[in-house]
Amino acid sequence: MEQDPRPKTILETCGEEIIRIVTPVSICMLLVVILVSILNEGSSSNDVVSFATMATIAYTENSSDSIWDKLKGALLNSLVFVAVVTVVTFLLVLLFYLRCTKFLKYYMGFSSFLVLGFMGGEIALFLIKDFSFPIDCITFAVALYNFTVVGVLAVFMSKMAIFVTQAYLVVIGMLVAYWFTLLPEWTTWVLLVAMALYDLAAVLLPGGPLRLLVELAMSRDEDIPALVYEARPVISDFGQNGGVVRRRVWREERGDFDENQRLNSGENERNIVDAEEGRVLGGDSELAAPLIQHINIRMNSSENAVPSENFSLEGIGLGSSGAIKLGLGDFIFYSVLVGRAAMYDFMTVYACYLAIIAGLGITLMLLAFYRKALPALPFSIMLGVLFYLLTRLLLEAFVVQCSMNLLMF
Amino acid sequence: MDNDSRSPFSNRHPTAAASVLPTTVATDEASSSTRRLGRTEYTTIDGPLGLSPDDSLTYARRFFKLGFLCLPFLWAVNCFYFWPVLRHHQFQQSHPRLRRYLVGSAIGFFLFTTILSSWALTFAIGGEHLFGHVWGELVMYNVAEKYGLTGWI
Repeated sequence: MEQDPRPKTILETCGEEIIRIVTPVSICMLLVVILVSILNEGSSSNDVVSFATMATIAYTENSSDSIWDKLKGALLNSLVFVAVVTVVTFLLVLLFYLRCTKFLKYYMGFSSFLVLGFMGGEIALFLIKDFSFPIDCITFAVALYNFTVVGVLAVFMSKMAIFVTQAYLVVIGMLVAYWFTLLPEWTTWVLLVAMALYDLAAVLLPGGPLRLLVELAMSRDEDIPALVYEARPVISDFGQNGGVVRRRVWREERGDFDENQRLNSGENERNIVDAEEGRVLGGDSELAAPLIQHINIRMNSSENAVPSENFSLEGIGLGSSGAIKLGLGDFIFYSVLVGRAAMYDFMTVYACYLAIIAGLGITLMLLAFYRKALPALPFSIMLGVLFYLLTRLLLEAFVVQCSMNLLMF
Repeated sequence: MDNDSRSPFSNRHPTAAASVLPTTVATDEASSSTRRLGRTEYTTIDGPLGLSPDDSLTYARRFFKLGFLCLPFLWAVNCFYFWPVLRHHQFQQSHPRLRRYLVGSAIGFFLFTTILSSWALTFAIGGEHLFGHVWGELVMYNVAEKYGLTGWI
């Protein structure tokens, strides 16, 4: 039986786990930045897309408003959005409490179908129009259909290739994040801060919906049926495990089978042994915005309601196999921040990217320290917003002046 | 260990029992199978995190049959997922049915892709010369404009 000649150090295993979370987050952010740069070349950044969605229901931003008006409007929008999200999360907790897991799973499959099919299709159409790509409608329809159906299967079925599931989750995060970047500027920033505060409250306060959800799931020893990115667990020893390690993204059946198998391969899967002590679980919440029917009124002020999505989770936790789980809501809001930064300049993108990764690193360290579900948004969003403002207001002037005078950069 | 039964649930317990009961027997069995197949005892690309051999058959069959709903990508994912089985010929003896589904998926994927890509390439390269005004009616960006498909985001 082959074994590694030298045991892996804790740096390698910990570092490997961190890399396995930071990589998909970075890829999602990169894709959103690329999309934003490609698709927003035509319209100027001051162009206001006037469409009514849940996030702009209270106030539609106008570029001619004063700063104070914009701030007030943005605050109002964010309050409405956070209120809706809170209500829907409590609804989710209620459904989970009443054990409507099947319904939640189907709903998740349905939302993924909408996001991948409709939003993915639209963004593909934007790209096709931009590049005048000579694809015909039959090929496009077949490709989109394939992409959507396999995506729904990947998200829905617990036992699909890990790479495929992870890839589709990243794509879903990217599509929803792109949609969020279409919101007006002030609304986006205030919304990000509001969601970070909401995440903090919902996961850490005793009455918070996410905390209730996590505690319910832990007491029942089930996985929450929601869209969560689970990193591939790091397996220290390869050959000794006689059976198959089950990644519990969604539990189908439990029983003595799991316990026995895990106990036998205990010394190999040290993370699973930790899980056996009953303390680790994905800390997830479902950012749920209810599904609005698509109304297409063809008027000048095209008032369209966008099917806003739900199912993204915020919060970071340890999965049942010891792998780190990061909610899809975190992917989305990180990418929204970086996408918004990209709408200004690439300098802000670099600064915000580093800030977000630093925040994520801090959160992971705290996760290792506290070993319970933690909100992943606050640190990253706060650092990201701070660095965006600092870069835009202070660093840019400095760098531009230096470059213009051929001093540096 | 390789029962061709149809319900994965009932199969799991015998397998579990085999690997859980007298540990010496289990490790002997595991080690002998390891020696026989080398490191290719796992049927999926995820290795120890993937499916058990019995589950593999169920999933491969399900993907194969669903692929007939005009889903070549599902066949490709099927082949990707069970790549070790396709690649290593040892599985010919141990999992013949599994291998047959995968080879079928691979053939189906290649056929469908050939047909679809030849049509797409003809359309793209031929352009207006070949199709006349029908090209303008079939190309996606015109169709999107005609039906207002990009208006809703």
